[in-house]
Amino acid sequence: MNGYQLDWWAVLSGQPREWLFSGIWMTFRLTVFSSLLATVIAVILLAMRLTTSRLLQGIAASYITVFRNTPLAVQFLFWYFGVIPLLPELWRDWLNETHIYAGFTFPSMELIAGIWGLGLFSAAFIAEELRAGVRAVSAGQFEAARSQGLSAWQTLRYVILPQALANSWQPLIGQYLNLMKNSTLAMSIAVAELCYQVNQIESYNLHAIEAFAVGSLIYLLLGLFLSSSLDAFGRVIFKHKRSHSHG
Amino acid sequence: MIEFKQVNKHFGSLHVLQDINLTVKEGEVTVICGPSGSGKSTLIRTINQLESISAGDIWVDGKSIFDPSRSLNALRKEIGFVFQQFNLYPHLSVLENITLAPRKLNNLSAAAAETKALELLEQVGLSDKRHQYPAQLSGGQQQRVAIARALAMEPRVLLFDEPTSALDPEMIGEVLSVMKKLAHSGITMMVVTHEMGFAREVADQVVFIDHGQIIEQAVPHTFFHHPQHARAQQFLQQLLNPLHVQEVLL
Repeated sequence: MNGYQLDWWAVLSGQPREWLFSGIWMTFRLTVFSSLLATVIAVILLAMRLTTSRLLQGIAASYITVFRNTPLAVQFLFWYFGVIPLLPELWRDWLNETHIYAGFTFPSMELIAGIWGLGLFSAAFIAEELRAGVRAVSAGQFEAARSQGLSAWQTLRYVILPQALANSWQPLIGQYLNLMKNSTLAMSIAVAELCYQVNQIESYNLHAIEAFAVGSLIYLLLGLFLSSSLDAFGRVIFKHKRSHSHG
Repeated sequence: MIEFKQVNKHFGSLHVLQDINLTVKEGEVTVICGPSGSGKSTLIRTINQLESISAGDIWVDGKSIFDPSRSLNALRKEIGFVFQQFNLYPHLSVLENITLAPRKLNNLSAAAAETKALELLEQVGLSDKRHQYPAQLSGGQQQRVAIARALAMEPRVLLFDEPTSALDPEMIGEVLSVMKKLAHSGITMMVVTHEMGFAREVADQVVFIDHGQIIEQAVPHTFFHHPQHARAQQFLQQLLNPLHVQEVLL
C-alpha cells in the first residue's frame, strides 16, 4: 500500500464525525421531503394523463419528456442560479430566513432548492412507473367503478391507484432508491448533504480512502434500510396479493 | 322506465345499432338475446353511457339521459351494472367491494354500509365470505358478490351483460337463481343472456337482436313457440337443439 496506513479514526472522530452526522441528517431530510414532493407531483401527472383533456395530457407528457431527458445536475443549477435570482426580493428574503416546521428547521435556500429540484426530477420517473402500473389494471376496473357512479378522481383514488401501486411497487422502490442516490448531486448547489461532507473531510485531512469508504458504506446502509422498509410496507398494504392461493 | 328512441350507433364503418326503438316498463324483466357480435351488449351499455350513441335518444325515468340538467354520475347511481367478467375490485375484501360506493357516494357511515352489505350477502347466500378477497372465490361466488355490489346503491334498474357466460356450467344455476329472486321485486331488469330457460321462466318480454337490429320482440311464449322471423327460428334451433341444426336448415 506504498506505506500508507489506514486511519479510520481520523474520519470517525472529532470534526469529521460531526460533519458525517450533519451530512446524514441533511441527506435524510432531502430524501424524505423530495420523495413526498415527487409523489404528489407524480399522482397529479398521472391524473392529468388519465383525463380526456388533450391539453392536460399534453402538459403532463411534455413535463415527463423534459424532466426525464435532461441531466439532474443541470436542473439543479437551473433552479438555483437561473430561477431563484428571478424571484421577487420578498420571496428570496423569506427563503433565506430560518423557518421551523414540525421540528424541522429550514435554514438554507440551498436545501429548499435541492428538495424542489430533486422532487420535480424524480416525479417524472415515478409518474411513468405509476402509469405502467395503471396499464396493467384491466379496463373492466375503470368500467366497474364508473358504472357505480364514482367520479374520475374517486375511481383513480379508490380503485385504480391501489392496484397500480401494487403492480409497480418493486420498480417504484427502485425509483425512490434512485432519488436517495441522486440527492448527492445537490452538492453542486452547495447543499451540505452526506457526499458534500465526505468530500469536505477529504479536503480537511486527506484521508480520501477512509472518507469515501465510510461515505459509501453509509449510503449502502441507507439504501438497504429504505428498500427493506418499503418492501415490508408493501407486504402489509397489498393484502390481496398474498391471498391468491385459492385461485 | 327505459325507452330507446330511434337509437343508432356507428363504429367506424360498422353500424352497431340500427334504428333501435324499445320500451322497458318499470319493474319488468327484459331478456335480450342474439348471436355474438349482434350488438346486444352495446345496447345495454348505452343506457349508463359506457358506450356513446351516434343518433337518437334514450329516456330513463321520463327524461333523456342526455338532458344537460342530469348528471351522469347521478344517473349511474340509479343503474346497477353486472359484468360478464364480474370486475370485482381485487384489492378489496368482499365487504369492502360492496360498501365502497355507498360510503363514498351516499356518505353512509362504515357501520351502516356494512349492515346493509351483510343483508345483501345474506340475500346472495355468501355471508360467510365477507372477509375473503375476490381471488379466493369461485366464478359463481364472484358474480353473486358483484350482484350484491350493484344492489348496494339501491338502484331502480339493473343491467346484466351476459352474467353467466364466463362461468363453469355447474355455477350458472346459483347466479340465475339469485337473479330470479330479484326479478319482479320492484327493480327493472334488462338481461343480455343465452340462458333461454331463464328467459322462458322469468322474462316479461324477449328481444332478439341481429346485426344491430331488433328482429323480434315478444312475450316468452310467443317468442319460443311462434318465432316470426327466420333468423330468430334459426337462432333458437342452434341454442335449443345444437346437434340437429343442419337437419332443420336443410
